[in-house]
Amino acid sequence: MICAETAINKIRRDLTVGAAVRWSLAALIVAGMLGGPLMDEAGALAMVLLLGAGGAWVALSLRSVRGSQMAAESSTLIAAGQYEQAERQIAQALESFSIFRTTKLMSLHHLAMLRHAQSRWQESAMLCRALLKHKPAALSGMDRASRLMLAESLLELGDLRGAYENLLALYDQRLPLSEALNLLGVQLSYLGRIGAWQAMLIGLPARVPLIELMPPQASARSHALLALAAKKTGRMELYEWLRRRTELLADVRKLCDDLPILGEAMIVD
Amino acid sequence: MNGASEQFLEIGWLLERSRPRAMGLRLGHAAGLFLLIVLLSAYLSNLGGQAARLVNALWGLAMVGLMGAMLLVSYGAYRKAKTEQQRLICIEELIRLRRWDQAAAMLQQMLCRPMRTLQAHVQALIYLSSVLARYNRFDDAIVVQNYLLENAQLDGGTAYGLRLARAMAMLRQDHLVDADRAISELRRQAVSAGRALPVNGGEQPDSPYSLSAGLALVEMYRDVKTGHPAEAVQTFQSALPALREQLGHRVADAYMLAAQAYDRLGQTAQAQEHYEKATLLTPAVELHRRYPETSGLNEKYRAASWPQEVLS
Repeated sequence: MICAETAINKIRRDLTVGAAVRWSLAALIVAGMLGGPLMDEAGALAMVLLLGAGGAWVALSLRSVRGSQMAAESSTLIAAGQYEQAERQIAQALESFSIFRTTKLMSLHHLAMLRHAQSRWQESAMLCRALLKHKPAALSGMDRASRLMLAESLLELGDLRGAYENLLALYDQRLPLSEALNLLGVQLSYLGRIGAWQAMLIGLPARVPLIELMPPQASARSHALLALAAKKTGRMELYEWLRRRTELLADVRKLCDDLPILGEAMIVD
Repeated sequence: MNGASEQFLEIGWLLERSRPRAMGLRLGHAAGLFLLIVLLSAYLSNLGGQAARLVNALWGLAMVGLMGAMLLVSYGAYRKAKTEQQRLICIEELIRLRRWDQAAAMLQQMLCRPMRTLQAHVQALIYLSSVLARYNRFDDAIVVQNYLLENAQLDGGTAYGLRLARAMAMLRQDHLVDADRAISELRRQAVSAGRALPVNGGEQPDSPYSLSAGLALVEMYRDVKTGHPAEAVQTFQSALPALREQLGHRVADAYMLAAQAYDRLGQTAQAQEHYEKATLLTPAVELHRRYPETSGLNEKYRAASWPQEVLS
């Protein structure tokens, strides 16, 4: 079992070493390129320097590619629910050295994903926070995904303020559909926790088709949350429709075990 | 324009045009240029004295230039591949949001010229087969699916998903013999995948449906089409937990096929119940479009009513 704190410390150390190696190699390559033409006697040495540094760069890049492949495989394993194998892959990815920042951060991101999938919210939140401190490139999408996981983990830990702040930060960004769906699910959970029933039912004609696109379990849970909101606001026809849909989509008892407030929506009066 | 004169989503032409072009020639050019520089510099170095010093200086500059050019070319290629990837993500989202016309237009535009990577090409063709099926062009969809299954290197899950979609398209086109053969193959694959699973406290699935609810749906459709409603009902009953867990809202399809099967069996109360459940999840008109054989149910049974707040 990988300890979150150890992984965070290791990544921090590896990022520093990686940056030092990267800049050193870049300096050697530049020196090798300029050394030959500028100093007559140092031509051969410059060539050796250039080839050595270039070779080392290529070798370390290939090593980094292997690390990122391992990290990528782990996300498939997490999605398939094969957590033990995913843990092994991530451990290997964390151990492997990479000169590229994104590759190292990706392995930390996958560890956060794994802990999130295992419902180990404390560790997931700790890993996401550490990742966001390193400011991953926006282009990689890691920052958005980590913030979303952090919001959900904090919500599960009962830190409503922290969840709200992270949700708010996501509203400023343009999200791909899959992340927009995740955000909608977390947002409904958050609104349900704070009892903002009216807000949950705003824009239903657009919200319901989006909820239908969610993965089965998340879709059923969102339906149940909306049913609860409809019941709380006295919109009984809507409540009945949402409740019956929830029953068709998932095992209601399991849903209520996962999120006890749903019990109120699923009990037929 | 050659492309403009082509029919919209003309399959043969798109398959031919979209194939990624080999990079061999460009690499050959670069290697040739590099060799030329090396030979030229060796020749000038041999002249000695002033010429050798000049060669050294030029060699350094050439290296800097070459590296700069390589960086620029790599960056350009990376940007183009990234753009292609983003367009594919956009197409995927349009398909999920059922904006078929926009997805089809983007696919036509993307596939009418060589794509940059094999992976993106495969992905685009998978999306194309979905769009063609939505437009009821099932024979074209089958052509694309066959092309992918025969020519592309696909992972097991993707290949299985494509075979499922192809079996469904064959059923829609009444290629019943081919469909039956394809379904038998799918069943064999699901059974052997189940056997290959590690045994942890006897957790091996006892039915192929627990691994593939899609297989259950295709088999139900085959049984409804070929007049075996009892078998369709039996499949539905045994696969319902898997259908619900794996298909999400598409479980409505299974309820609709079950309603059709119950209707054929003369069990009208059951047919009404399942028809209502199906239409509670998905509008009846969409389900009848997917399974034209069920359109007669529309007149016999009452669909679920949707609250106004959801419709408006």
